[in-house]
Amino acid sequence: MDEMGIVSRKDIVYHRRQCPFDFIRGFVYRLLPVRMIMKRLNDLEYLKLNKLQVLLYNLKLFFCAILPQFFKNIGLSILNFFKNCGLWVKNEVVDIVTTFTKGNWAVKLSFLFFGFGNFYYGQILRGILFLVFEIIFIGYMLIPSGGLYWLAKSNFLQTGKTVGTIQGRFEYNELYDTDVWVQGDDSVKVMLYALLTIIFIIAFIYTWRLQVKQCRICMDITAKGKKVKSGKDDMKSLLDDQFHKTLLSLPLFGIMAFTVLPIIYMVLVAFTSYDAAHDGYSNLFSWVGLEHFNELMDFGKGGLGLAFGEILSWTLMWAFFATFTNYFLGMFVAIMINKKGIKIKKFWRTVLVMTIAIPQFVSLLYVAKLFDSAGIIGKLLGQVPFVSEYLTSNNFISLWDSPIVAKVLVIIINIWVGIPYIMLMATGILMNIPQDLYESSRIDGASAWQQYSKITLPYMMFVMGPYLLTSFVGNLNNFNVIYLLTTGNPLNTDIGTAGGVSVGHTDLLITWLYKMTLNSPESKYYLASLIGILVFVVVAVLSLIVYNVMPSTRNEEDYG
Amino acid sequence: MMKTNHDNRIRKTGMGAKASRRLGNTIVYVILVLITAIWLFPFFGLVLESFRVETAMQQSYLWPKEFGWDNYIRLFKETDFMLWFKNTAIMGVATAVLQTFFVLSMSYVLSRLRFKGRKGLMNLMLILGMFPGFLTMILIYKVFTDLGLTMAMAPVGLIIVYCASSGMGYYVSKGFFDTIPKSLDEAARVDGATRWQVFYKVIMPLSKPIVIYTILMGFMAPWGDFMLASYIIHENSAGMNVAVGVFEWMSKTMVNENYTMFCAAGVVVALPVTLVFLMLQKYYVEGVTGGAVKG
Amino acid sequence: MATVKLTNVKKIYGKDTVAVQDFNLDIADKEFIVFVGPSGCGKSTTLRMIAGLEDISDGTVEIDGVVVNDLQPRDRNIAMVFQNYALYPHLTVFENMAFSLRLKKVPQDEVYERVTAAAEILGITEYLTRKPRALSGGQRQRVAIGRAMVRDSKVFLMDEPLSNLDAKLRNQMRAEIILLRQKIDTTFIYVTHDQTEAMTLGDRIVIMKDGFIQQVGTPTEVFDMPINLFVAEFIGAPKMNTFKTNLICEDGKYYVTPYGAKIEVTGKKGEMLREAGIKGGEILLGVRPEHMTLSTKDDPAAIPCKITVNEMMGSELHLHVVEDNGDKLIVRIPTVTLEDDQRKSLVFGNTIYVTFEGKVMHFFDAETEKNLLV
Repeated sequence: MDEMGIVSRKDIVYHRRQCPFDFIRGFVYRLLPVRMIMKRLNDLEYLKLNKLQVLLYNLKLFFCAILPQFFKNIGLSILNFFKNCGLWVKNEVVDIVTTFTKGNWAVKLSFLFFGFGNFYYGQILRGILFLVFEIIFIGYMLIPSGGLYWLAKSNFLQTGKTVGTIQGRFEYNELYDTDVWVQGDDSVKVMLYALLTIIFIIAFIYTWRLQVKQCRICMDITAKGKKVKSGKDDMKSLLDDQFHKTLLSLPLFGIMAFTVLPIIYMVLVAFTSYDAAHDGYSNLFSWVGLEHFNELMDFGKGGLGLAFGEILSWTLMWAFFATFTNYFLGMFVAIMINKKGIKIKKFWRTVLVMTIAIPQFVSLLYVAKLFDSAGIIGKLLGQVPFVSEYLTSNNFISLWDSPIVAKVLVIIINIWVGIPYIMLMATGILMNIPQDLYESSRIDGASAWQQYSKITLPYMMFVMGPYLLTSFVGNLNNFNVIYLLTTGNPLNTDIGTAGGVSVGHTDLLITWLYKMTLNSPESKYYLASLIGILVFVVVAVLSLIVYNVMPSTRNEEDYG
Repeated sequence: MMKTNHDNRIRKTGMGAKASRRLGNTIVYVILVLITAIWLFPFFGLVLESFRVETAMQQSYLWPKEFGWDNYIRLFKETDFMLWFKNTAIMGVATAVLQTFFVLSMSYVLSRLRFKGRKGLMNLMLILGMFPGFLTMILIYKVFTDLGLTMAMAPVGLIIVYCASSGMGYYVSKGFFDTIPKSLDEAARVDGATRWQVFYKVIMPLSKPIVIYTILMGFMAPWGDFMLASYIIHENSAGMNVAVGVFEWMSKTMVNENYTMFCAAGVVVALPVTLVFLMLQKYYVEGVTGGAVKG
Repeated sequence: MATVKLTNVKKIYGKDTVAVQDFNLDIADKEFIVFVGPSGCGKSTTLRMIAGLEDISDGTVEIDGVVVNDLQPRDRNIAMVFQNYALYPHLTVFENMAFSLRLKKVPQDEVYERVTAAAEILGITEYLTRKPRALSGGQRQRVAIGRAMVRDSKVFLMDEPLSNLDAKLRNQMRAEIILLRQKIDTTFIYVTHDQTEAMTLGDRIVIMKDGFIQQVGTPTEVFDMPINLFVAEFIGAPKMNTFKTNLICEDGKYYVTPYGAKIEVTGKKGEMLREAGIKGGEILLGVRPEHMTLSTKDDPAAIPCKITVNEMMGSELHLHVVEDNGDKLIVRIPTVTLEDDQRKSLVFGNTIYVTFEGKVMHFFDAETEKNLLV
């Protein structure tokens, strides 16, 4: 995040000079009711302001300087990124060319034969590895049903063409005297193999570059009269200065294979027609380009746009309430437990920690039933005149049938689930607050309330700021609480079905995705992918803004 | 004269402070007792209802009219619960071992070793974390089906799913490693240790709390997971974990026959897990608080 | 036991943050070298480059004639004591000290012998079975030194080893390091920001600032002949007084004229000025506080000042005085030279007259701040 440029009150200078992103500033200006011209105050002038003026000044600063600066920085960093990429490519090309022209025959040959230079300079182990890699690669690409075969079959990203070329079909078979399924291509596999081939090609290019570079380094080292590293040195260094490679190899492989690859695959799926009807096996699916993105613009009943909008807004609302209710109440509970003079602190804490220990499907399913019409609490509440009137007038049987009540209930029950975590964290932080802060404030004449509001609260807010963001994102994807409590119900009749599944009032994007991809005849994988991408965009934008604008994610030394 | 006045005032406010604190504490105690009641009520109810014999349906009273072990007997004799429990326990142990290895490797490297691409790697994982991880299941399910790692073999598939990408959850343990002074590594290296020796002779012996925390987290994951498990298991009883298995009993059509049995299952699952958890509570708290403070 | 040679050593962080610039130094076998300078001057970075804990951006480091740039710390055969001790919390004192021997798979008998021998010298034998947590700061420091002692290392590196101790303990440990040095008899490189430590410990001192070496020399050399104003002010406490003044040459005799007084440059300094053939002009004059003396009003060489602070140090008195046009000076007077009533008059607000002799002066170029006589 550092590359985005750090914006703080101190180092914002409001430049009037033209920059490529001036239009954003202009845009912000037009948004404001009065065109405010920002005059930067120096520190002493700033200190002279009274509370109201400070507030106004900071607001002004936020809209006129911090926000535009933020957008400008993002723009600039994107620009810089491309610039650096260009620079990098240029440097690489220059380097490769000079390596070739200046290199001796061994280096030149290693442009064709992997590891040749390594052999020449006595790095047998590396040489063998490189050579084996090259042989495997060339072999894999060329053999029948190898890399090139899959790549050609996949019609990669060619809109309108199918993924895979041979459609499976029933054909009359004389032997069995009936129609028999003749297997064709499986689009899912074709696409996967094509993707793997592309990754393999990239790895090949990288390795080629790597070994050329190493040859050159070997040449330079030998020219200086030093010894190059032997295979034994390489093996040894894996436990020493290359230890990170040893430790990272397995975890990184796991992440590459089970997160990166599936995510790239998933993004690709959004550009295909992969769904239950076109599952790739019985029916090939095809590349459709940006077609599905248009579907999102459909705001009519059952339209994707409407469903996505509604679900997204509830998801955001849910995440907001779930995060902040937990945050404040959890902190409150922690402060109570840690209050001076309260006994058996450990007992109170343990009671709360029980909720973390017990698997959520047990506690949540049970609690959901408690609030049902037959449950104890549900029945009790149903007898309250005001509630029963509301239920009967709307033909609701249980509390869970009412959209509003259901929404409120999940938030309340989530408090029950979430407070213990926050309480534990807040306890840790409370214990970390230096006691001399309290002592000095007592000498300065602060009351208990003032101590709380001027020391405890700001300190906690500060330290837990970054956690709030994580927790917010976590709640956006909080599958367990919603699905185990309501499975997304009650049904939302305004939307009906969207993406092949019926949508409920308490459905989050993640539960909607879940229903959409669970192997039902209505599964629309492409849609799930599309929404996944949108969720990513939402989360990424939120995080970017929070990281850049929220002060507590930076300046961590302040409370050091 | 002045002096005594002053003393009096001190004594007065002192008394006032004491009294008001006593009042404050009383209020806090009342709230805490209330909270305890609210938090324990469901568990209390769960245990009570699991012993109810007179009807398997949900009732609007808590205290059973007739106590008995019927639900537990039915649970073990008539259902696949034992199998599910075994599946989950195996997954828990395997995940605990593998995940600990993955997470600790990743966090140790990111915290204590400096190498080219470290920042880039951390940014990559941050960005990957913003995708709804669930969507990776579209592909993983397909591949696992071909490899035969779904349905009855789901526990194996699930162990892979839980562990493979677990390196991305390095934050808490990295926060812990960050608190160990760097000069310890340096002293050891000057003393003649390779980085590997620094890792297992110096840092690991100091990291007991975080190792236990990571093991605990790994062990708990399969017990609570419903989303990924239900996807991979795909309604095959032989491969179910407890969450997926028991979830069915609570569906609208089956709840009337299975409600009390669900309660019994809940107790059987919750008991060992909770005991382990409460025993290691200290380490859990250390992990959670350490992670929060480090951000 | 080894020589250490640094040639054009450079350290650059990131793209262009230079921490150490063209560091050239030959350290003889068994020499005690001290790197000293204000924080951020690159002294620790240089030490860490010798240890192998930092990469060397440019130049070479040789230990015993072998270039060690690409060697891991463990292959350099060095021992190092860290500022915060860096004791392994999970090991006993014995195991802490034996750590490096264990890694080398030294047999137990020998480990025992060497560790107990070192512990004996350091007086920590009774703590050998304790964990570092149970030790006081001074004891921990000894363990850290002991850990470095048990190995037969070529070079002994110490990175501000005393700065975490309180003043009294620091003085004591300083003396012990001098004793230790006689016992271990190897090449020492010692980093500190404290000029007293540097002066008392070092055979030679390397004074650094902003990544550059300012001066290398014995304590006497750097004290008597500081190469520039920075070294002059850094070495010696309280720091040297400086005056912007004129150097006049009359009939082969040199005079300085601080604040209207006229003082002849006598002794060796005067001869050196003559030999160097310096014509005079505006210079920076430096006089150490202990070389200032009290004088009387009628002395033509006297400078009138007002006392602002009087610090009674016991054996001596530090007077902070201010000259008429606002310049601040410090005068250091041994208490034994003062009469009782004289001492009573040295209080805030009183005017006193100070002067100094010609032979104690230091002359610096007004612009380059370099010593005119070096």
